Amino acid sequence: MDLIFDFLAQVQASSNYLARWDVVLALLVGSVGGVIIGAIPGVGPAVAIAILLPATFSMDPIVGLTVLLGIYGSSMYGGSIPAILINTPGTAVNALTTYDGFPMTTRGEARRALSLAYSSSFFGGIFSVMCLIFFAPVLAKVAPMFGSREIFLAALLGIILVVTAHRKHSLIAAAMACFGIWLNTIGLHSASYSKRYTFDQSWLSGGVNLIVVVLGLFALSQAFTLLHGDDEKVRLTKLKGSFFQGFRELARHPRIAGVSAGFGVIMGMIPGVGEFTAQFMSYTYAQKSSKRPEDFGHGSSEGLIAAETANNAVPAAAMVPLLALGIPGEALTAMMLSVFYVHNVIPGPQLFQNDMDFVVALYLALLILNVLVVIFLLVATNQLIKVVKIPNRFLGVCILILSFVGVYSLRNSFTDCILAASFGIFGFIMKRMQLPVVPIVLGMVLGGIMEVKLRSAMARVKTPLDFIDRPIAAILFTMIILVLMLHFRRVWLDHTERKTDEWQTSHASTSFAAILSRRRTFILTERGKKVRGKRKTFSRRLTDRR
Amino acid sequence: MSDDISEHPDRPQRGQVLFAALFLICATLLIAALGSQTKWLDGKDFFAQPRFWPAIGVGGMVLFTALHFWHLPRKPRRLPRWMREADWLQWAESLFWGVLALALSLWLGPIKAAPYVFLVATIRVTWLYQHWTDRREAKVWASVVEWAGWFLAYVLLVPIIGYLPVTVAFTLLLTWRVGYRDRIMMISAVLFAIAVVLVFKSFLQVKIPGSALYEYLPGALRSFFILNF
Repeated sequence: MDLIFDFLAQVQASSNYLARWDVVLALLVGSVGGVIIGAIPGVGPAVAIAILLPATFSMDPIVGLTVLLGIYGSSMYGGSIPAILINTPGTAVNALTTYDGFPMTTRGEARRALSLAYSSSFFGGIFSVMCLIFFAPVLAKVAPMFGSREIFLAALLGIILVVTAHRKHSLIAAAMACFGIWLNTIGLHSASYSKRYTFDQSWLSGGVNLIVVVLGLFALSQAFTLLHGDDEKVRLTKLKGSFFQGFRELARHPRIAGVSAGFGVIMGMIPGVGEFTAQFMSYTYAQKSSKRPEDFGHGSSEGLIAAETANNAVPAAAMVPLLALGIPGEALTAMMLSVFYVHNVIPGPQLFQNDMDFVVALYLALLILNVLVVIFLLVATNQLIKVVKIPNRFLGVCILILSFVGVYSLRNSFTDCILAASFGIFGFIMKRMQLPVVPIVLGMVLGGIMEVKLRSAMARVKTPLDFIDRPIAAILFTMIILVLMLHFRRVWLDHTERKTDEWQTSHASTSFAAILSRRRTFILTERGKKVRGKRKTFSRRLTDRR
Repeated sequence: MSDDISEHPDRPQRGQVLFAALFLICATLLIAALGSQTKWLDGKDFFAQPRFWPAIGVGGMVLFTALHFWHLPRKPRRLPRWMREADWLQWAESLFWGVLALALSLWLGPIKAAPYVFLVATIRVTWLYQHWTDRREAKVWASVVEWAGWFLAYVLLVPIIGYLPVTVAFTLLLTWRVGYRDRIMMISAVLFAIAVVLVFKSFLQVKIPGSALYEYLPGALRSFFILNF
């Protein structure tokens, strides 16, 4: 009972943060802007947040973060529109929505699919925020138990999870994470005042700015990709009627919705895991527990619910490691971290202890955002789907022009722009190769955190075992070992499976080649017999002349 | 070393070897510069050394990229017939690389020479496994430099001519350059440019300097333009 009263008191206190015209405006801009950005394939929240990041530095932390959180949280709602209507995910995390959403459209159920996607997303978002609001007091008690070594181990776990999450690209993902760690070390070392990798260039003394890298890797590279590509012809389905039926249909699948949202919350809280794993797990669960698993991938409403609920439950949960420990779990939260730093608000255990109202205000903002987004979508979907028609190359022009605001407004530096353009070209190459860029950003952010925390942790450690003598440190260390062991086991299994396939393939192809060879020999022999027969008939053999 | 292209069917194969090789060469050069670009301070803890984290970064880059390079599916380059048949050439080549590695080791010492020997080996392997699709892919990468050039030209001109006129001009020019000629797209480009300037410069007051050209405007108009456009 006390817990509920405490919580209500905190909600009342944090409402002071939200009852301001600029926060209300930020809520509206974030929610509507996020949906529009999500609905345009080829833009995505990472591009939008990277561009808007420097613009939010002049705002209050709560205003700036509300705009960015709004874009992050609502872009996935918008991303489901092109995923369902034209089989093109608006954001990368809506890829799974196309599996069941588009088949529903092809059989004339576009409105039902969209309505289900909205209601599932809404449920996922609200469930996640409610979980976090109710768990906030518990988090506030756990967060102070994280000292330097625990934060170091959590950051290390995050970086390992990011690498291992890229299943078939884990080696290059590890190389990119190390590249990020190295980029972060460029400049003046604050503890020893010695220069590192500056090559005696004054512009490198200050280090490489995270926002410049992010803008290059996400915004400029996307602009280059769009400018280099072709426009796609889009044929849209006309939608008639209301979108409320999805809520009724969602109510018929409470188990799938609940479990998927649970997966979203848990996966969101673990740094480096995120939407894809949550979606994959909930979709697999829904398929295995369904009475009609054969419908999955062919327009199953359960599949759509699982995918959309899981991905929308992640954004709120992803704020937990960021706010409680100061550790971002993915590229978007890594960008948000810089907003905290600019305003001298250091996320971490102290924030939970000293400024819990601010944390609850952020969660409440997320709650309101979800409501606003659903209202907007229920009213304006028919108008909104027109943004899908914006041509790709024109979008590229727009992103290039907007990227200027992001890079140049930071320090009015031409060098920053050259660096961003270089990272843009690098990001473009990585995108063409389908190699991961997120580990670079996380390597930069988590590398910086690990460097500081390891230095301070090692000052109090005498033997290596001292490092993990506290319960949370021991748990984190065990998790790291477990994750690595599972990863190596999976790599070994993949390797064995591939070798088996190779052996079977070579055997089969050898047999097939042998069949072909025998057939060729047979045909040639037969042909030879015929030719020799003809010769025998029409001309005498040389031996006969004698 | 894997020669099976079907090992990674989900990833485009063109340019993979070239990208991995270029990244590995850069990483090797960086690790070779570790000694000169970072310091080892006496009396400081191992983990607090300024060299520790850069070493982790570049060391990881070299190690993981080399492993990635090793695992990439690739086929040997098809050499001209005379090169394939000339045994003496292969002998001479092996001898050349051997002598180069030995000379580097004697000149720099074995530890300092190691990155350079590795670099030479990487370049050699890259040349051997180069494919024409890689070279075609490299041309695509180079073609993007044009868009980066547009971006940098835009950045250079804003402080001289002004945010509003340069944004309108560049949006129009770029729209034309990417192939749109119809009036609707041109009007959309102008409207978009004006909206961007109004939102970011006039409303959000983002830090973009007023142009040198605005200085020539008369009194009140001058400060109005510098502040808002």
